[in-house]
Amino acid sequence: MNPIYKDARYTEVPYEEKLKLFDAVKSDMRYPHELHGCYECGICVAACPSARFFDFSPRVFAQTMAREDVHSFYELLNDNVWDCSQCFSCTCCPRQNNPGGIITIMREVAVNDGLQSAKDALQAYSRIIYKVMSTGTQVSPDMLQPDFFPDWGPDVRDVSLNLDVWRRAIPPETMHTVELAWDVSEKTRLELYMIWKLTGNLEMIENVDEGLYMILEEVMEELLEEHGYDIDDFDNILED
Amino acid sequence: MSGKVMVIGGGPAGLEAARGVIELGYECILVEQRDSLGGSPISASYAALTPDMEDTEVAMARMIDSVVGNELADIRLGNSVTAVEGSAPEFKVTLQSDSGSEIVDICSVVVATGFKHFDPGRETQKYGYYEYDDVLTLVDAEKMLKSGSFVRPSTGEAPKTVCFVQCVGSRDRQIGNQWCSKVCCGVATKEAIEIKHLLPDCKVIVFYIDMRMYGFWEDLLYWKAQEEYRVNFIRGLVSEVTKRGDTIVVKGEDTTMGRPMEVPMDMVILSVGMEPSDGTLAMAELFELPLECHGYIETKGGPLNTVQTPIDGVFVAGTAAGPADLEDSISMGGAAALKACAFIRRITVTN
Repeated sequence: MNPIYKDARYTEVPYEEKLKLFDAVKSDMRYPHELHGCYECGICVAACPSARFFDFSPRVFAQTMAREDVHSFYELLNDNVWDCSQCFSCTCCPRQNNPGGIITIMREVAVNDGLQSAKDALQAYSRIIYKVMSTGTQVSPDMLQPDFFPDWGPDVRDVSLNLDVWRRAIPPETMHTVELAWDVSEKTRLELYMIWKLTGNLEMIENVDEGLYMILEEVMEELLEEHGYDIDDFDNILED
Repeated sequence: MSGKVMVIGGGPAGLEAARGVIELGYECILVEQRDSLGGSPISASYAALTPDMEDTEVAMARMIDSVVGNELADIRLGNSVTAVEGSAPEFKVTLQSDSGSEIVDICSVVVATGFKHFDPGRETQKYGYYEYDDVLTLVDAEKMLKSGSFVRPSTGEAPKTVCFVQCVGSRDRQIGNQWCSKVCCGVATKEAIEIKHLLPDCKVIVFYIDMRMYGFWEDLLYWKAQEEYRVNFIRGLVSEVTKRGDTIVVKGEDTTMGRPMEVPMDMVILSVGMEPSDGTLAMAELFELPLECHGYIETKGGPLNTVQTPIDGVFVAGTAAGPADLEDSISMGGAAALKACAFIRRITVTN
């Protein structure tokens, strides 16, 4: 079926391509629990913090998916799926829908497919992904750079110049490092790496940011090898 | 005094009224102008009843069987009421049939003469009902669904896209029908499910102003259609049905999305509403029953008495008094029977 809207976007993308991604979302085992039918009542939008600041509507996700409107789904997958803060305030739905949960699945499908819009959306997060996946910590002092926090104003520049000093001035034990937020043991890192690898998270990164993937794999490989694990042969890890 | 109740109209409300009268032990003359009982559900070939989807013939046969053959029931098929003289409890009513006319004495009356479906070509041609073969009404669609074969009249092939346009002939100041016909939302949703049942790959869209799915219709029909059959409900009324080449195109706005639509459709089904039937208007005139502001037979008890007309001894049941679903029509039939019999009993006891 053709798009029903006169102002439909992505009309140049073949229907089959859109349907493939739509079916990937629909066949996810979580999907039937996240979506029933939609009243289009807007209670989810009223509860949504993102909707107050962006042109973003969890209702549109729920109603589009409930109607199985494949064309509008593809628009959302490219243009709106990254605007959600994943707070799940939208679960106030009287039909017990979970628009945020639908978005979770859609994001995974977008990443797994290596959709260009997903790559663009996630580019700004590569530093955070690197930190989380390599150290298990999210923000470390050395990430406080003016380029990445323009909204902090001139203060962030001053802070970034003397990170080491600031760090030493903090009374609790901080290891006097600026590369980590807190001490992450080798055992923890080792377990994290196994989880990223075994759950397929590392491969998801490969789909959206190959450079980041290569850096991460190198870091992981080194530690894994030290402990006698082969990153390309994970059967031996599972046996342990 | 005859002690008899006359029920005019053999549809759901009239059948229930007749059953009530004979179960209370009074004599009932049931007058039906058609040659068979069952009213619109039978004469208009409804496939299944809303909301439980029971086969119409089976369900109505149960009602008919509860009246036919009862010694207190005097059933006059193919008869019309053509004249009324006197007043309750001594009405003299003329019945006209092909074989002649007869004057009968009755004490009280239940008018259950029903509605007629709005004619979508009467006031406006914006939906192309008389222009395009593939534009139908709910009633036309019922006939096809009853036959078990749902195809495009123009080609005889199964449709890939079907839409319903709600509120055709209802809620419309332009045509003068300001009322909601109450049942069309449920009936359209029921038909949408039936279409999806026959044609699982067919895309079915319901264009609506408000979906009015009272009580249990909510989850039994509306949720079911959405969740199990993925029928699309789009809030926005179709402004016109046009043709582009061989294709029918419906135009409208998806109001919750705020986006303009132009959708090619294989079939368009107009959800036509109710209007007072010719029989209802004729009975109002003969029994001198005032009409309420929409043109249906007036009742004088407001929401607390749904069957009492302003004329002594005359009661109304079903859609003769305004749009009603089956549940309401049946309930009114029972209430009207009770009051029609009580009217006679009050006089008998007093005398």
